[in-house]
Amino acid sequence: MQRNSAFRRNSFYYILITPAVLLMVWLTVYPVLDVLVLSFYDYNYITDVRKFAGLKNFQQILSSELFRDSFVNTLIFSLAATLIEVGLGLALALAFDGEFFGKRHFMTVVIFPMMLSTMVVSAVWKTLYHQDIGLLNSILKQLSLKPVGWLIDPSRALSSIIIVDIWQWTPFTFIMLQASLQSIPREIFEAAQIDGARYPQIVFRITIPILLGQILLIAMLRTIDTFKLFGKVYALTQGGPGNATETLSTFIYREGFSYFNLGRAATASLLTLVIVSLISLFYIKKLVQEEGPNG
Amino acid sequence: MANVRNKSSNPVFWVLMAVILGIILFPVYWILVTSLKTPLEVVLPIPTIFPRELTLKNYIGVLQSGFLKNMGNSLVVSISSTLISLAISFCAAYALSRFRFPWITNTLFLIWILVVKILPPVVLAIPLYTMFNAMSLINRILGLVLVYQVYTLPYCIWMLFGFLKSLPLMYEEAAQIDGASKSATLWFVVLPMMRTGLVATSIFSIITAWDEFLFGLLFIRTPALRTLPLVIADYIGEYETLWGNLMAIGMITALPILLFSHFVYAYYTKGFALGDK
Repeated sequence: MQRNSAFRRNSFYYILITPAVLLMVWLTVYPVLDVLVLSFYDYNYITDVRKFAGLKNFQQILSSELFRDSFVNTLIFSLAATLIEVGLGLALALAFDGEFFGKRHFMTVVIFPMMLSTMVVSAVWKTLYHQDIGLLNSILKQLSLKPVGWLIDPSRALSSIIIVDIWQWTPFTFIMLQASLQSIPREIFEAAQIDGARYPQIVFRITIPILLGQILLIAMLRTIDTFKLFGKVYALTQGGPGNATETLSTFIYREGFSYFNLGRAATASLLTLVIVSLISLFYIKKLVQEEGPNG
Repeated sequence: MANVRNKSSNPVFWVLMAVILGIILFPVYWILVTSLKTPLEVVLPIPTIFPRELTLKNYIGVLQSGFLKNMGNSLVVSISSTLISLAISFCAAYALSRFRFPWITNTLFLIWILVVKILPPVVLAIPLYTMFNAMSLINRILGLVLVYQVYTLPYCIWMLFGFLKSLPLMYEEAAQIDGASKSATLWFVVLPMMRTGLVATSIFSIITAWDEFLFGLLFIRTPALRTLPLVIADYIGEYETLWGNLMAIGMITALPILLFSHFVYAYYTKGFALGDK
């Protein structure tokens, strides 16, 4: 009885949260469970044959060279892009710290690349990278250097996509780190200067240690985002040449929507889910501690 | 930092700034000039940095190809998915920030929100496709609006939860003491105070939906129903060097979003200042 009235008193909150819960269950919880079940099935969408397969999908996927390539490519892309973006962003934040003429306008322009749609970014880089009439190769030719097969040379294609991501997202690490740098009390630096510390010492002994938490958080955000890599690959290389730029996302897309092997695509999805969760465990823990209701 | 005072007088600083601006702005400039070049000039073996002849033909051609319809689709999808998310997530975030549901529901819910934000969307693509197909929501704008909730809803809940938590409770308490009902408090007291938070959240949500590519690619087949990123991807794949048109579309896609950049910068700097309180 008492329980019932307590519920009625709080029913307002239950009503408020219900639509969100229903939508999340429908669009995310159920699909994840479905992927879990489906990964143990042999299911072809075209023939509509669905039968239990045990661990067969897992065996096939884990021993598939394409999956391994996709995983390694995703890892390389994610690590390289994150490291360079965070490193460059930190260097820029240090270089453009403090006040100077036109700073606000400068920063507003600096974030243009991250504001552009990935498809717009891919489109312009595709023209710049073009083998015969792209601007980059034309500059190389005028300098009497050999043209580079930016997107058609298997040993280059992945790094060309990394360059695009660096161009697009270094502005993000830059403004985030620049904002955290701004929040450090100036007295700390002044005191260090009075004590005779030189600039590099201040950067490596004071600034970076203070910012370490923020740096890790931003690196985590970039790792998570780069792990989703799909649009750029789709627009720039379609996974090629060969398998040089296949990623986990393009692998799942191909299995599911080109070959209609829904079982195997689900297995790859599940494995990706596990990999991503493991990588971001630290991040989730930190954010929930900070923002969560018990924090 | 250590050399703040002499920064503006140091020529190296300004040279560095010019180089950075050059790297950042050049591709944007390239979109603009390519969109204004004639088809012949675009395919010259040595690209011209400054176009010899300016033309609006590409824009006219693009507009005549039914492009306005695609732009309309993008607008409808990003605005309606944002409005739906905003309404649902405002309610949910308020409940989560003001009430402890039994057991550890609050924490679990927030963890799940984060997990969804982290997941590559393609992981959910297969079940969602099968489900939406069974409900005849494939190849429909409504289907796209619904499926974009996968991105915008967790995003909005997380953002609004943060804003609501930083709101002082005294106004709500005062309203309750004055006898206002819970729903009146939410509507007349909390909602007006959340204006900034709602605007910030909706801008980021609109940008996300405006840029979305994967589910658009999977769910939309009819060219007339495509959103702008799909049109661009189609151009890239279909025509090797129809760059004038491609860049004209790119320019029109980029412009409305670039207008937000002043705001986005202000948000990031302010957001951090708030977090460090």
